[in-house]
Amino acid sequence: MIFTSSSGLKKNRMDWLLFFAVLALLILGSFAVFSSVAVLPQQARIIRTHLIAIPLGFAAFSVIWSLNYQIFQDQWKFVYGAALLILLGVLIFGVVDKGSRSWYRLPLFSVQPSEFARIGLILAIANYLDKRIARIREFAVALGAIFLSLPVFLLLIKQPDFSAVLITLPVVLIMLFAAGANLFHLSVILGYSFISALFPVLWTVITLNSELLGSPLINYFFHLSDFGWNTLFFTAGVGVGAYLLWILSVKLYSNISGMFFAGAAVVLVLGFFSGIMLKNQMKDYQQKRLEVFLSPESDPRGAGYNLLQARIAIGSGGLFGKGIFSGTQSRLGFVPERHTDFILAVIGEELGFWGAMLVMGLYVLIMGRLRACAHLARDRFGYLVVCGIFGMFMVYFFINFGMLLGLSPVAGVPLPLLSYGGSNLVATLMALGLAQSIYARRYALV
Amino acid sequence: MIERGISQERLEILWLCVAAVSLVFFLRLINLQILRHVYYREIAEKNRTQVLPQSAPRGRIFTRDSAAVAANKPSFSLIYFPGRLRSVDAMDKMAQSLSKRLNAPFEELRAGLYKAVKKEAPMRLAENLSSKAMFSLSELKTMYEGIDIIVEARRYYPFGKYLSHLTGYISKMDSREWALYGKNKDYGMDSRVGKAGLEKTYEKDLKGRDGGIYLEVDSRGKLNRILESRKWAPGADIYLTVDSKIQAAAEEGLKRSSTSRGAVVAVDPRTGAVLAIASMPDYDPNRFVSYSDEKIADDFKELPEFNVAIQGTYAPGSIFKIVSAAAALDSGRLDPAETFFCPGYYDAGSRVFKCWEKKGHGRVDFMQGLTHSCDVYFYNLGLKTGALNIEKYARAFRLGLPTGIPLPDEKSGNIFGPSIRAAKKSYWFIGDTLNLSIGQGEMLVTPIQMAQMAAAAANGGIFWRPYYVERIVNSAGEDIFKGKPEMLSRAVLKDSTWASLKDGLKQVVLEGTGRAAKINGVDVFGKTGTAQNPHGKDHAWFVAFAGLAGETCEIAVAVLVEYGEHGASSAAPIARDVILAALRGKLPENREKSQVTSHRSQALREVVGTTVPAAQSGLKELSVSTAAAAEEGR
Repeated sequence: MIFTSSSGLKKNRMDWLLFFAVLALLILGSFAVFSSVAVLPQQARIIRTHLIAIPLGFAAFSVIWSLNYQIFQDQWKFVYGAALLILLGVLIFGVVDKGSRSWYRLPLFSVQPSEFARIGLILAIANYLDKRIARIREFAVALGAIFLSLPVFLLLIKQPDFSAVLITLPVVLIMLFAAGANLFHLSVILGYSFISALFPVLWTVITLNSELLGSPLINYFFHLSDFGWNTLFFTAGVGVGAYLLWILSVKLYSNISGMFFAGAAVVLVLGFFSGIMLKNQMKDYQQKRLEVFLSPESDPRGAGYNLLQARIAIGSGGLFGKGIFSGTQSRLGFVPERHTDFILAVIGEELGFWGAMLVMGLYVLIMGRLRACAHLARDRFGYLVVCGIFGMFMVYFFINFGMLLGLSPVAGVPLPLLSYGGSNLVATLMALGLAQSIYARRYALV
Repeated sequence: MIERGISQERLEILWLCVAAVSLVFFLRLINLQILRHVYYREIAEKNRTQVLPQSAPRGRIFTRDSAAVAANKPSFSLIYFPGRLRSVDAMDKMAQSLSKRLNAPFEELRAGLYKAVKKEAPMRLAENLSSKAMFSLSELKTMYEGIDIIVEARRYYPFGKYLSHLTGYISKMDSREWALYGKNKDYGMDSRVGKAGLEKTYEKDLKGRDGGIYLEVDSRGKLNRILESRKWAPGADIYLTVDSKIQAAAEEGLKRSSTSRGAVVAVDPRTGAVLAIASMPDYDPNRFVSYSDEKIADDFKELPEFNVAIQGTYAPGSIFKIVSAAAALDSGRLDPAETFFCPGYYDAGSRVFKCWEKKGHGRVDFMQGLTHSCDVYFYNLGLKTGALNIEKYARAFRLGLPTGIPLPDEKSGNIFGPSIRAAKKSYWFIGDTLNLSIGQGEMLVTPIQMAQMAAAAANGGIFWRPYYVERIVNSAGEDIFKGKPEMLSRAVLKDSTWASLKDGLKQVVLEGTGRAAKINGVDVFGKTGTAQNPHGKDHAWFVAFAGLAGETCEIAVAVLVEYGEHGASSAAPIARDVILAALRGKLPENREKSQVTSHRSQALREVVGTTVPAAQSGLKELSVSTAAAAEEGR
């Protein structure tokens, strides 16, 4: 091995701060998981899976850490192909749980391929952007990244696993952002995603407040959700509207290009069609989640109730908590999904404010180290990959914390390293192994 | 730094986003976990605790001589805690076997089970179980999870209808009562509250503090463990001034009367303490404690809640002659020696007024007039005295005013006289004077007013507020209330007036219309009355006061028998029994012929003797079983 120690720094093969932060989260998470499942009937199975996942995760971590990450750039086609293959395979061989066909059933545990596919996608996008970095400010490149990830999204929607989409799409956008994509192009993509999400949300709002259907305009709008003449007229209407606005802007001597109006109309129509598709794909429980986000009182016994109970758990923990293994809210079953999506409620209740702060601090520390890791990476590909991993942690952190603290919608998103979930744990450790591999090879050939 | 051809500022922007959002999360956590911690902690506590209330035994009600008219006995209830068995099939099966063993309708039990599962709360499926049902149920307990039996104190009135109008009854709360008591932690939706009489008036003292088993339950309401078993504190006991013997004599007498309707009120003329207060028709308060709603609903419809003793208003009839005689003598308008001739009627010119004795009384003076209740004599007396004077004395005797007995909805009756007519801008005729002087017409009085008046005649004009609670003793044995005599007013009449009045009333019993109330060795002063009733047969009155021969009077009594026709024959014997019951123990020699009352009170004594200790041991058992239930839950 050759060490170039021109900078006089001691060569570290591992970012130990990052490693210990990860270890601390894993230990904290294990205690929280064991505490929260202590009274569940499926306790044994959960603990067993968790205890299998940790060594498996560390094995994956070590293997990837020891590999030169640049292999993944060279062989990105195989990596991405494998990601698509496992997503395709799950649609054929997978088993259905909670309405989604997203699990491989193995003898001892089940595997959720979407977690691993996400890492494959990060690697593929990083390679794509690395190759086209000179033209990054072109819309075609930004759009290309989206098209590259489109198969993954389509396969995820087919399952359907909206939570995975909810995590993966922002990761792709964050990578585009980090690579320096034009902000206008990004906002067009964001606008499109926003519109395709907005339509189902609006239709759900109308379903919730059925008295609104009395108004003919709203009634018309509501029936846009079924394909038909209405939809066609709406599309035509948008086109004509955009054209008229362009004429108007020309008459007013404003120098907005016609492309802008055409683009806006296309984004609106495309978003609208995706919205219809999304709406018709949505499962009942997913619809319910959306409804609860829009009006938490509508279903006091359902998801809104769950969220309220989780918040009660956190609030009742106080400064120091009720003590590990002593949370009443979580152990007596008031907090649902307490070992997965609502694990923070268990920690907040049993370890109190300091426990929650510790968890938050560890996540910020991990993201801080990932940021340093990105800056230290020896090449652009490594930089972009770490940015993707950083983005992944950021999205998990924002959505899960935000949901529990009542700042974002109820989404079935776990906290990586803390929640129970073997596939997520292994995949996250794999991602961190990737980051460590990039860190280890920061300024020298090995 | 390695040149990458891209700006690394973008990552710094993302990092700033993380910092900013973390700050928001930090503030939000402070808000949740520190600032609003107490609020959330309380909700979390409420979430996990489920209280299974155990109503405290209500305070008992005793008569002056320690007979318990309201006590408690242990009652067993079947409770269902929703557990893991929550499928429709399992519940239907459970309801089926329960209904077989309880003899209760299947649908009702099933609805109860469903409700328990839906509300995720323990549910009372059946109450007041018999010991036989208990036996087969304890077997069921081992078969079905969540079935449990708890013991509570249940109200029990050992003598049934006895004194029911005074004690009142307890039953389920209505919405108005819920608004009144609901804030108090000791009241749950299925708590019983006093609905009438003492049970209502002294609800606060009788209630006691409920205990309960505090259970830790999981989100599905499944019992996890018992956190705390809080013991109840029984309510305060009430000791009445009512004497069980006198009350028994009064009720017995009313029951034996021709119509079994009416009221008897006996008070102590020295204090105003109520010795007996009976009203018929009466009811058995035990019926309303029971728990099945449909049965009660029928009972409520025919519940004779009307308390004749304080709410029934009647014309006083001849007993009003006490007032008109007092007015005539005290005002000096009448010479007691002056005689009037009674041919059996009085010609008032436009109309002829009859005497109750068609044959007429012949020539009568004051003594004879009062003794034989000669109406014609009193017509003349009234004319001589003047209607205004009689009204003045009627007011002094507090007619038309409530006696102030602390019972809800007492009626004040109606006073009648020239000044009332004047106030109404109407006329007063001579016939009105004649009617007034013999107590007919628009004058209306209640039995308790008449007892108060008789007491005043006995004690020289003192009007006491009748009271019936001697003391209230809380569970620690301290007196928290003591009944005290309270003088409302005094009718100041000449001593000679009282003396001649008493002489006259004594003559009534010795030789006149009230002979049926005569008792050897006892001075009985009385007056019969017959209240004309336009709706049917006349009501019979008798008021009396009595004491041992030559001593102060100890009892004043008013008897009203609805549709009893003649005071002399239907009301006076009851008064005699009552007076005898009060004075029997003090008579030098027991050579009374009538033993009826004696038998009755003897029987009562026996029941009392067994019931009080039984109730007490029942209470002891209760505390033991609570502990046992707590153990089993564990």
